[in-house]
Amino acid sequence: MVPLPVERAGGWNGHMSSTPVIDVERLNLTYGDFHAVRDLTFQVRRGELYALLGTNGAGKTSTLETVEGHRAATSGTVRVFGQSPRDRRAVRPRMGIMLQESGFSPDLTVRESIRLIGSLTRRRDTVERVLGAVGLTRKAGTKVAQLSGGEKRRLDFATAVYGAPELVFLDEPTTGLDIQSRDDLWDTVDRLREDGATIVLTTHYLEEAQQRADRIGLMHKGAFHKEGTVFELTQTLPAEIRFSLPDTAPPPPLDAARESGETFLIETFGLQRDLHLLLGWAHEHAVELRELQAGPTRLDDVFRSIGTA
Amino acid sequence: MLSIALGELIQIFRNRLVLVTMFVIPAASGAGYIYLYDKVPGLDRGAVAAVLMFLIAAMSLYTTAVTTLAARRQNLFLKRLRSTAAGDTGILAGLLLPVTAISLAQVTAILAVLAVVAGGPADPLLLAGAVLATVAMMLGLGLATAGLTNSPEHAQVTTLPILVGTLVVAGWVGFTGTEELTLLKRVLPGGSASELVVNAWNGGVPIADSLILLVPTLGWVAVAIALATQVFRWEPRR
Repeated sequence: MVPLPVERAGGWNGHMSSTPVIDVERLNLTYGDFHAVRDLTFQVRRGELYALLGTNGAGKTSTLETVEGHRAATSGTVRVFGQSPRDRRAVRPRMGIMLQESGFSPDLTVRESIRLIGSLTRRRDTVERVLGAVGLTRKAGTKVAQLSGGEKRRLDFATAVYGAPELVFLDEPTTGLDIQSRDDLWDTVDRLREDGATIVLTTHYLEEAQQRADRIGLMHKGAFHKEGTVFELTQTLPAEIRFSLPDTAPPPPLDAARESGETFLIETFGLQRDLHLLLGWAHEHAVELRELQAGPTRLDDVFRSIGTA
Repeated sequence: MLSIALGELIQIFRNRLVLVTMFVIPAASGAGYIYLYDKVPGLDRGAVAAVLMFLIAAMSLYTTAVTTLAARRQNLFLKRLRSTAAGDTGILAGLLLPVTAISLAQVTAILAVLAVVAGGPADPLLLAGAVLATVAMMLGLGLATAGLTNSPEHAQVTTLPILVGTLVVAGWVGFTGTEELTLLKRVLPGGSASELVVNAWNGGVPIADSLILLVPTLGWVAVAIALATQVFRWEPRR
């Protein structure tokens, strides 16, 4: 494990608090006639991992780039650490940004790239520590042009976590990474979080968001479709119990709907209670519930529900 | 700014084509002039100096600046730099500092050859002012042109009007003087700068009459910067 640098900007104590690091109020973004983001309001608290998810073209990248300070809001206010993110001198030393696409000079080596971008962050760190943290030590002298896609993502991550910033934006961080590299990346993020860093994540890997996000903003057509913890989001849709019964079995309880052939589906907002009732009914009637499956609503289900909303 | 400049310098020295061009252009220009000096006696030294200076300013500085900025934008390097705490002015200065320094070194080398072969300038300070004003103008025009250029390949097209235009104007003003069509020649990009170089090299013109020629050149700098602030983009078009 590679330790984080001791010295940080801002004098923060690294505990999750209710203080918003990011405060977005009625954000609107338009490109010509196209309204990309509509009246978006959200906050990200210190120490949180906030995932911004959504369908393609939902406005995630536009929102993210505005919060990062790359883009000006058409209307509304965006504050990061209480300041405009467009004030790069004030805000950027405290934030690290992992872009969706690399943007490194192909003729520079990995070490030179980290040294260059690191020096411009105005945070203190060493290139060797960061190389070790992202597993690129052996590639330090390799030109960026010769890196694989996954190695470029790791280089991107390296520049984002240089100097252990208080706020880290991760835009599709694990795209193109193998399993081991993903685990390594999340280990580094976990260490940053243990030290109190705030993380803003966008990803198409919903299981990553489900496992790691404290809160999720689910965007669709420029606005929040839903926002809350994974529990809050999944509670809005029923869980499912699925099983098969032989033709000779009596009709199942709980308004079980026949899905196809011998397969039945129960949709429920009380999974534990109804599963208990179903198992009791099966025991009482000496019926075998074949291919029994029961599970809570997953983020994928919530995501899929966007299209049907 | 200096770390960005250092990064650019590393890239320049890793690019063999750029490296060779850096030495070939001044060497070929110097050799060309030495050849002409023998073949065409009485060639106006000031005019030659103006043309040689614009050869470097247009080919080496202007086109390289446009190509560099277009390439850095296309591969999102500009966006990467803007993800840091560096300011926009510092980023641009860092990216353009190496090519500017190299171009100044090339101009100095070529004009030194001219001075050794045919005799030095009458007013070296005025000549230095003319060179610096020209460099500022070409950098400004480079920034503006980069705003209209989508890629390094596109730069081969977008740089042509200024590249050819300034070279033609430098030759026209240098070798025919400004007795006729004075206003037109002076307001064209590179016209007054060329006249300034001619005056600085050949002498015989009151300093006040020469210094006024800085105004149109600096005017072009202002126009180019104003245009660049409107059209320069930091990210590729989506």
